[in-house]
Amino acid sequence: MIHPTTTVHPSGTVHDSGVLAHENLPAVVALSGLHKAYENFVAVQDFSLEVKKGELLCLLGPSGCGKTTTLRMIAGFITPTSGSIRIADEDVSQLPPYRRDTGMVFQSYALFPHMTVAQNVAFGLANIGMSSARQRARVGEMLDLVELSHLAKRYPRELSGGQQQRVALARALALQPAVLLLDEPFSNLDAQLRVRLRQELRKLIDQVKITTLFVTHDQEEALMLADRIVVMQQGKIEQIGTPREIYEQPATRFVADFIGWCAILDGAVRNGVFVSHGGLHIPVQAGDQDRASLVLRPEHLHPSASGAAPERALQGVIETADYYGSMTRIGVRVGDELVLAEAGLEHGMHFEIGSTVTLSLAPHGGTVIPGGQA
Amino acid sequence: MQTSARDRGLAVLGSVVRPVVYIGLSLPAILIVLASFTAGDNLRFPPEGFSLRWYSAAIASEPFMSALWTSTKLACIATACSLAIGLAAATAMDRYTFLGREAFRTLTLSPLIVPMVVLGLGLLQFFAWSGLNQTFYGLLIGHVLITLPYVVRTLTAGFILFDKTLEQAAMNLRAHPVTVLRRVTLPLLAPALISAAVFAFVTSFGNITLSVFLGFSGETTLPVQIFTYVEHNYDPILAAVSTLVILVTLIIIAILERLIGMEKLA
Repeated sequence: MIHPTTTVHPSGTVHDSGVLAHENLPAVVALSGLHKAYENFVAVQDFSLEVKKGELLCLLGPSGCGKTTTLRMIAGFITPTSGSIRIADEDVSQLPPYRRDTGMVFQSYALFPHMTVAQNVAFGLANIGMSSARQRARVGEMLDLVELSHLAKRYPRELSGGQQQRVALARALALQPAVLLLDEPFSNLDAQLRVRLRQELRKLIDQVKITTLFVTHDQEEALMLADRIVVMQQGKIEQIGTPREIYEQPATRFVADFIGWCAILDGAVRNGVFVSHGGLHIPVQAGDQDRASLVLRPEHLHPSASGAAPERALQGVIETADYYGSMTRIGVRVGDELVLAEAGLEHGMHFEIGSTVTLSLAPHGGTVIPGGQA
Repeated sequence: MQTSARDRGLAVLGSVVRPVVYIGLSLPAILIVLASFTAGDNLRFPPEGFSLRWYSAAIASEPFMSALWTSTKLACIATACSLAIGLAAATAMDRYTFLGREAFRTLTLSPLIVPMVVLGLGLLQFFAWSGLNQTFYGLLIGHVLITLPYVVRTLTAGFILFDKTLEQAAMNLRAHPVTVLRRVTLPLLAPALISAAVFAFVTSFGNITLSVFLGFSGETTLPVQIFTYVEHNYDPILAAVSTLVILVTLIIIAILERLIGMEKLA
C-alpha cells in the first residue's frame, strides 16, 4: 500500500499529454486527512490528495469505494467527519456548496427541466449578479463552445443524452470555476457515443484549460482521459499515478486486478526467477522476495503453435477461449496456474479448448508486486 | 384465433361499460343544470319551459348569496392554511428522518379514516372546552383538519417525483437556498401544489357534516344552507344555485388546467 501523500514518481516515461509538466504547478484542490464515517461504515478514510492546476485527475474504483463521496465532499454536499478541503488556497471545509468555487456535472446532468438550454446556462450567472447583457453574451459564448447555439431555446427533454451532457458542461463552465467536477458523466450513454464524447470532452477541457476532477468506475475511461489516476478501494487510495504507471506498474494486487485483464500468480522470487506456487518459473527483473505476486498481462504472452526457446516459453492446454472479434482471449492452464493470453488473427491458428499451445514470454514479462498470498 | 375472440369480447364489453360509467357520473349534474332553467315552480325533470327566473331569484336571495360567500371565504382560507401546514409536514417527512416519522405520517392522514361524524363530535367537545365553539376559527380549524390529508398525500407524491439533485445543481451554481426554493423547488413542485390546493378547496367547499357540527351563529356555509332549505322547500332555486357552483368550479379548474399546462411547457 502506498501512503496517500507520497506521489508516485514517473519512471522516466512521459505520458502522452505531458503530465510531468504538472509536477511543480500549484494545487487547485488540496485534500488532507479527509475522513467520512457513517453509522455503520467508513466511506472515505485518511484521504489526502492534491489536484494540480490544469490537470485532469481521475478517481477510479469499484462502486462503493468512496470516490463519489469524495467528490461530493469537495462540492460541499457531504460534510466530512474530519480533515480539510482547500480550493484555490481557501479553506472551504466549513462553507456551503454555493460559496465554493466548483462547477459540477452530475451523473444525471441535473438540467432544470422548466428552463430552456439558454436559461440553464444563465442560471449561475444570475446568481453571481451578472448584468443581463453580459449574461446573454456569456451564454452565447458557452453555447458556441459546446456547439449548441442552435438549440438555445429548446428544453432539456428535447435533447439527446450527449447534448444534455454538453449543456450541463456549458452551465458548469460558464461560471469559470476553479475546478470542474465530473461525476460519472458517461454512464448514461450508450457505448459507441461514450467513446466519441470522451474524446470531445478531453478536447474541450484542453481548450478551456480547466482543472478537472473526474469520477468513474470505468478503467478504460480513466486510462484514456486522465493525466493522473487515483485508484481507490474501500475508502482508501491504492495508488496514484499516470495511466501508464497504473497499468504497467500496479502497486498492489487490487490495482493490477482492477485495471485491465491479467493473471496474478503467487510465489517467491529467487535469483531473478519468479517461482509460483503452481511450479511456474518465469525470469523477472526483481530482487529476491519470499512472498511476491507476478502480474501477467495477456500482452506479455504470445501464443504460437510451434515450440520456442524453452526458458522463455510456457507450454499449456487451452481451458477457455472467448472470441472478441479482433482477437481471441484464451485461458491457458500451465502446470497448476491459469494464465491469460490474446491471440490475433495473424496467428492463423484455431484456438480450440483442449489443444496444446506454446506461450512465448515478452522480454520485460510481468510485474512483480511484493507480498503475495501464501 | 381464441385470444382475438376474447379480446374482441372484452373490447365490446368495454365500449358498453365506459359510456354507462360516464353517464352515471355526469347524469345527476346534467339533470340539475337542465332543471335549473325551468319556467315552472317545481324542481322536476323534464323542466317546464325555459327561463332564467330562478337564477335571478338565487342571486337575489340573501341567505344563499351570503352562504356562498361564507363557503368561498372559508374554503380559501382553509386551503391556504392547509397548504402551508401540509407543505411543511410533507417536506419534513420527505427530507428528514426523525423519531416517530411513520406515526406522524399516519396522524396527518387520520382525518380520512376517522368518520366525519366522530371527528365533528370530538371537535365540538374540544371547542366547547376551549371556547372556540360557534366561532369562525373553530370551523376553520375543522376544515383545515379535513383538507390536510389530501394536501399531504398530494405533496408527498410530488416530492417523490422531485429530483433533489436539481437543488444540488442549483446550489453548485452559487444559488442561495432562498433562490433555490424560488427558482427551482417551487416552480417544479407547482403542479403538485396546485392539485393539492384544488383537492383542499373542493373538500372544504363541499363539506357538510363538519360544518353542521361546527356551524357558528348567523352565518352558514352553502352546503348547510342548501341542506336546511331542502327540509322545508323544494323549488328550482336549489338547481340554479347548484348550477352556479358547478360553473364556478369548472372555471377554477379550467384556469388551473391552463396554469399547470403552461407550467409543463415552461
